[in-house]
Amino acid sequence: MRIFQSWRYPANWTIFRLDDRLLLILAAIIVGSCSGLASVVLNRLLMAMFNWFHHLRHYWWVFVLPAIGAALSSLFLEKIVKEGAGHGVPEVIYSVSRYGGLLRFRSSFSRLISSALTIGSGGSAGPEAPVVISGAAIGSNIAKYFSLNDRQRVTLVGCGAAGAISSIFNAPIAGMVFAIEVIIGEWKSVNIVPIAIASVMGTEISRILQGNQIPFTHRLFNINHMDILACVGLAVLTAAASILLTRLLRSMDKIAKKVPAPLWIRAAIGGCAVGLIGLFLPEVLGKGYHVVQTTIEGAFSQGLIIVGLATIAKIVATALTLGWGGSGGIFAPCLVIGSLAGLTYHHGLALLWPSVSWVNQGCFALLGMAGLISGMLQAPLTGIFLIVEITGGYEVILPLIIVSAITTSLCHYIEPAAYYMKELVDYGHLLRPGTDARVLSDLNVSELIEKDCIAVTQNMLLRDFISIVKKSHRNYFPVENEETGHFMGIIHLDDIRQYLFNPVMYDTVFLGQIMNTRVEVVYPDDDLADVIRKMDANRLFSMPVVVNNRFIGLISKGSLLDQYRRELMVQTS
Amino acid sequence: MNHQLLHIFRNSPLGRETLLQSIYFSKQAKVSPVIYIPKSTKFLMYFENDVVQIDLDDSYLMSPDTALEHATELLEQAGVEPRFLDPKHYTASTLPDIHTNFDYMSCPRSISDLSSKIGLGYIGPRVRRIVKSAQFPVLITSPVYKEWESIAVFFGGSVNAFNALKLGFRICRISGMPLDVFTLIENNSQESYEKLITDEDLEKEMSRYVNNWHFLKNKTLEENLYDVPHNALVVLGAYGHHLFKTFVFGNKMEKIQSTISNNLLIVGPNYTAAI
Repeated sequence: MRIFQSWRYPANWTIFRLDDRLLLILAAIIVGSCSGLASVVLNRLLMAMFNWFHHLRHYWWVFVLPAIGAALSSLFLEKIVKEGAGHGVPEVIYSVSRYGGLLRFRSSFSRLISSALTIGSGGSAGPEAPVVISGAAIGSNIAKYFSLNDRQRVTLVGCGAAGAISSIFNAPIAGMVFAIEVIIGEWKSVNIVPIAIASVMGTEISRILQGNQIPFTHRLFNINHMDILACVGLAVLTAAASILLTRLLRSMDKIAKKVPAPLWIRAAIGGCAVGLIGLFLPEVLGKGYHVVQTTIEGAFSQGLIIVGLATIAKIVATALTLGWGGSGGIFAPCLVIGSLAGLTYHHGLALLWPSVSWVNQGCFALLGMAGLISGMLQAPLTGIFLIVEITGGYEVILPLIIVSAITTSLCHYIEPAAYYMKELVDYGHLLRPGTDARVLSDLNVSELIEKDCIAVTQNMLLRDFISIVKKSHRNYFPVENEETGHFMGIIHLDDIRQYLFNPVMYDTVFLGQIMNTRVEVVYPDDDLADVIRKMDANRLFSMPVVVNNRFIGLISKGSLLDQYRRELMVQTS
Repeated sequence: MNHQLLHIFRNSPLGRETLLQSIYFSKQAKVSPVIYIPKSTKFLMYFENDVVQIDLDDSYLMSPDTALEHATELLEQAGVEPRFLDPKHYTASTLPDIHTNFDYMSCPRSISDLSSKIGLGYIGPRVRRIVKSAQFPVLITSPVYKEWESIAVFFGGSVNAFNALKLGFRICRISGMPLDVFTLIENNSQESYEKLITDEDLEKEMSRYVNNWHFLKNKTLEENLYDVPHNALVVLGAYGHHLFKTFVFGNKMEKIQSTISNNLLIVGPNYTAAI
């Protein structure tokens, strides 16, 4: 029996009780492997669907395929797994910010299937966000199995995300950087070591099952000073493309929500529109990695107008797919749009300054990819490392840094929150560790209530009250109704100061006459941030906490500061 | 009345019965009912180490225009101040988060499966997850409103059973209702159960609160349950044993809930009782 009992509670296994870091590292190995496997599964699914549908591409009715795929994907999410959530990455960040990385088990597989349906049928989206939420959910549920605490769970969520990105791109550093920069937002060795291990495991799983290939190979680029200077212009273009994509995605989402139809029909409408665009510009369909490969090889032979049109078409197709209810991520579309934007820019440069010997167009395509990733995620390191790893092109590191840095800065100036973070920021849900908002969100009114206050009644004489004041060390005294016990107001010591030195008043003044009845009160369910806002606005040091018209205690800035410091130390230690 | 009971309101005749049960329990246990009127069929409950998605059956969204009015009317008739929960946070636009800082939660036997909503012998998977994860006891109401006039605690000696016993003491103390304890004598002797109480230093509370301690000696648990008063609130622990034992010998909570139709107050493994 004991064997079975210990089997159910792995957190009690002796080996894990020796050292928490060891437990985390072992868990990271499992999480990295599982999330890597999830990525491989999705990749294989997409390849299989591509092969199934490829021979249908010459039929005129093929434009309905993305519609069917998006509708099925939406039905699967809504009716079968009942996910009721968006594209994945914001949900992971939300759960890390607010609930210590708790994610539903169903999220570990739901987005894999739904995004395979959307992307495999031709929808313009990427498989990266789905594998990120799958990996993160795997990490979260493994942490739950091991009964880990919130911080350890968050680390394993990061491990899952890192393993997934590492596996799908065969890019361990990019996976690691993405998990820390975008998902966790906290550079600490306690996170970095397990996440690095998970990245390695994810990459290894991918290499074992799919081979060790650089996703987008290219020839050597000979970059000169003029090219580096031209990167500034490219950064402006990729920033503009990022902003356009971000805004179009949001506006499509808003427009779609106004359509009085079920979600699956809306998804089908979006898919149908993408299919129609795909009839004329097939580059917009699917994840589009072949377009990326062609552009960075310098083999994309179309002229400026067509390339520019393809860039805009891919932006519109991505917004139609994701904004109208399809399932998928924005990584792959960003790579495609970035590469096309880079190519457009190169064609423009060649047109304006034909005598200058510019580097090969593939280099600009590659830099454009970094610009789009950095602009959309506002995560420059992820953009730089991802492009270096997926192209194996370290020689472009200087222009990569320039494009990434400028694009991120420009996008941040125009859109202060990245695409993934926008809603979280709007609703105050982006709570990075150690920040004021995070500390306050981890505290609640109930744990700050000071209950050692002495309640008085409105019919009490000042003399009796003074004898109570002598026994109390508080400055505030709640006044309650004698019969109902309801809270009526509050008396501060300052309120009786003028009567204290006049003993005649002791037997003539009742507390009901001098109490302050215009009191701002706090309820235990109130957000602490709102309570502090009220305190600051009214210049209050303490406020009464009331439930059902009954006084239950005081909340003061003093006790808040004590708890705040304790919480801050826990979060930053 | 600082303690709170969460009630998910279903605007239907069955939902009315359930709310009446919750209101009665709240008045007896001196807690404030907090009513959540769902606007979508899904919501999330984030517990300490688990997140549970509740997929409500469609009857919870029936006649949304009258839901607030009906709930308010029932609460006001009972002289209870209506308090409604408005979710502050959303995991997704149609997926509100319901916080879990409550002292009790009221649930029907099944929250997501309409077909089995009034049947005995079945507790839905979501309700099970809530019981397993919650730090509060779960009130599983009987299908028809019935006022309970005594408390019956099932005590078998497990950690959860001790928590159930302490919760029974607490409700007995607050409500003033008589408390009976029921123990099924299996392989152990009556003395061994008494020794468990002594070891836990609960003798004083037992003599103060408990009317009768019934030691059930019939062969099966089901045969013994006729002795439980029909108008008692049954308090019992759940999921106290490990998987293997439950798998082989069955689960007592399941047997009890499938045999009697009383209101059940179920204490899960994460609840820590104070008397």
